[in-house]
Amino acid sequence: MAEMQVKDSGGGKGKPKKMSTRVDLTPMVDLGFLLITFFMLTTTLSKPQIMALVMPDKDVKLEDLEPVKEGKVLTLLLGANDKVYWYEGITDAKLDSTDYSAEGLRKVILNKMDKVQSTYGQDTYNDIKTKEEKKGSFINVIIKPTKESRYKNLVDALDEMAITHVRYYVILDVSDLEREFMKHPEKGLNFSAEEQVDANTTK
Amino acid sequence: MTAMCDVAFLLLTFFMLTAKAKPMEIVEVDTPSSISETKLPDVGTLTILVGADGKVYLDMAGSHTRRELIEQMNSQYPMNLTEKEMVQFANSGAFGVPRNRLKSWLDVEPSQRDKFVSPGIPTDTTDNQLAPWIHNARLAQFKMKQEGKVKEEYVIVVKADASTPYDAIEEVIHTLTDINVNKFNLITSMEVNPNKVGAMGGGEK
Repeated sequence: MAEMQVKDSGGGKGKPKKMSTRVDLTPMVDLGFLLITFFMLTTTLSKPQIMALVMPDKDVKLEDLEPVKEGKVLTLLLGANDKVYWYEGITDAKLDSTDYSAEGLRKVILNKMDKVQSTYGQDTYNDIKTKEEKKGSFINVIIKPTKESRYKNLVDALDEMAITHVRYYVILDVSDLEREFMKHPEKGLNFSAEEQVDANTTK
Repeated sequence: MTAMCDVAFLLLTFFMLTAKAKPMEIVEVDTPSSISETKLPDVGTLTILVGADGKVYLDMAGSHTRRELIEQMNSQYPMNLTEKEMVQFANSGAFGVPRNRLKSWLDVEPSQRDKFVSPGIPTDTTDNQLAPWIHNARLAQFKMKQEGKVKEEYVIVVKADASTPYDAIEEVIHTLTDINVNKFNLITSMEVNPNKVGAMGGGEK
């Protein structure tokens, strides 16, 4: 660093050397593209995903509803500590519990689908998007989040509906009978006709 | 080189101008993840924010609608808001105060609002204030649509924290169904669909 190399341009006197006015633009362009990338990524990623949810109409009359076969119904009670309790049908129901993992709740739903398919056979339906006729076994899932559950549990349960393509599902409130049932599952669950109506109508 | 530089900066300007600054959230919400790939549509949204502590906040787009809404609410319920406070409401974001405290919240400078402790909008059955807010907001948006100031009606969005106790969500859902809002959206974050990666054979019938 002590000495500087001075280029001898020949004639030191004469006209001063013409300086180039060109600036190296590369760093500026680099920075420009970096910022473009940043803004492009942030604009597209900032849009949140949504999950559409349709709740049953509270004013619908019970007489207008079509009854569902008991054997096709699967009720999920979303409990505390990320546990989900489930039972099938309404007479002599057995309460079982599982978790929200792929091996847990999803297995329960798929097993139920297989069971319904072997008992009732397949129904035909028109695909909502492609309109083509398809075959499938329909189960009716009732999701009942208890007060002890978290919001995440509900979203996880709804997510499983989407993953396993359950076409009919509904979110309802937990009835007192079911609360008792969760406390003492050995006593079993036996709905009378009125209680059944009461437990499965939205308030 | 100059041409490329020009293009780069043109694009940069474009993205900078179109990028929406992320609005200051009144409450930190960590949404649960789902496989849903539907994106939030680009229309006016009415967002119900539920914090992890179960406090409910409300936010709606469009200052015209907000102005109309606060005028309606002020005439229906005694809040004694002044003209200045109503303008203030039209231009601010999410709020989470009961009606009787809205005036004091609006009197706080917007930059100082984060220090204001919001108790949340009451949603319980004895004093449900969320229902009239949503109902009137939808009416206001409808009126604005008829006047041509907005294009679409509100899309109702619920944005809740993953660890929110279900009580709070239940109250919000009941509030919505009570005023005949049966279709709404839950904001979730991205998660991989197991059907698509083939990790699990779920989904076949």
